[in-house]
Amino acid sequence: MNPADTFPIALSLRVATIALLLVAPVGIALAWIQSKYRYPFRGLVDALILLPLVLPPSVVGYLLVVVLGRQGWVGSWLDRAFDLRLVFTPAAAVIASSIVALPLLVKTAQPVFEGIPRELEDVGRSLGLSPWALFFRISLPVAWRGVVAGLVLAFARGIGEFGATLMFAGNIPGRTNTMPLEIFAAYQLGDDRRALIYVTVLIAFSGLVVWAASRLAPRGVRT
Amino acid sequence: MFRRATHRTFLLGVLILGLAACSEPAVEQTDLTLAAAASLRQVIPAALEGFALAAGERSIDVTYGASGDLRRQVEAGAPIDLVVLASAETVDALIDNGLADPASRRVVASNRLALVGPSASPPLTFATLNRLPGDARLAVGDPRTVPAGQYARQALENLGSWNHLEDRLVFGGHVASVLAYVRRGEVDAAIVYETDAEGLADIAVWEVAKGDWAPDPQVVAAVTDSDSPDAQLLLDYLTSARGQEIFFSFGFDPPTNP
Repeated sequence: MNPADTFPIALSLRVATIALLLVAPVGIALAWIQSKYRYPFRGLVDALILLPLVLPPSVVGYLLVVVLGRQGWVGSWLDRAFDLRLVFTPAAAVIASSIVALPLLVKTAQPVFEGIPRELEDVGRSLGLSPWALFFRISLPVAWRGVVAGLVLAFARGIGEFGATLMFAGNIPGRTNTMPLEIFAAYQLGDDRRALIYVTVLIAFSGLVVWAASRLAPRGVRT
Repeated sequence: MFRRATHRTFLLGVLILGLAACSEPAVEQTDLTLAAAASLRQVIPAALEGFALAAGERSIDVTYGASGDLRRQVEAGAPIDLVVLASAETVDALIDNGLADPASRRVVASNRLALVGPSASPPLTFATLNRLPGDARLAVGDPRTVPAGQYARQALENLGSWNHLEDRLVFGGHVASVLAYVRRGEVDAAIVYETDAEGLADIAVWEVAKGDWAPDPQVVAAVTDSDSPDAQLLLDYLTSARGQEIFFSFGFDPPTNP
């Protein structure tokens, strides 16, 4: 395979990895907060987290362009203040992947946090642990399987992002042509051989993910 | 009580969905399906109106897209009777594959490539494009499927600036999306057809490609399904004096190499 063939594979891995690094702390924190605290508008936050999972990717893409495009609400400010433009960049692909990956992480990790026996945390609290220490010394060690399962699923969803990426990052060969976009482009060009490369890679990858997630997820809470 | 109400709402919802699934949308029998290049999205509706006046009312479906994509669709067996595409190459590929009638091939019009940008920006020319700053972006059609992109590439290669500009290029899926990138302010300049930019207040035509280096875009048509007598009729109308008038009124030129 020549560099033009391997580029989409490398780009997809890079985009999904960076997206995961962004999503992991936010998603784990959200899952923990949602599972441990009752506060006003908690239901609304729950719904907002879930939204990208049920919205059509074209809606996510449209909203991203409207908000972060060069003439968008936030995008025009970024352009003026920092000379920063997101559309047609790999960063845009990362943002699109992150947004669709977040709900999978939160929705997988949250029930696992919820399933931690209350007594465990009560003991921690009675021994004077701060919420911070409580999370790192009790919740996370107990729930790590579910969290990793969530991370794996989020990574898989991120690497497969297509619709919003196409609208927000464009399909620029050598810059934003991730594997899903390249499959579409190769198919349109009638280059089935090229499409098959990425179809194979993504199928192999997804198979691996499903296997890993199934090994991690169902046992749930374990000590 | 509450449970019963939700129960009923649920049943009602299922019922409505079920009815919606059963009632088949009325599929109208169309006389003719036309696949036209995205660059023809303004002139074709006018031409079809003229055709209806001249030859009688017909139901005609039109699908617009990048000529390369439309060519693939015909090759994949899409029920298309007539293609009007933005390059000779795409039509000839269909003829070579036995999917279009060689006797029906016509050059309908010619077009000109134009460098356009936001009306608020200082104008550039094709020759000074290589002075575009490193972070600026130039939108062209994807040369793999969009003839306007192939012509743009040809022009920039002839001017010796394609390689220099390559990392500043943004590819659009068809010529209308290239123009939309400029209108949305995502790019600083774009290469489209002169006819695309006509009459748009927010778009300025900076230069129309003329000279040895300028490509010569042609609009070429052919009948893809010889069973449809209307297809040949419409094609004849497009190349008739009246049909040509309509193309000229939208800024197209007569064919330069029929």
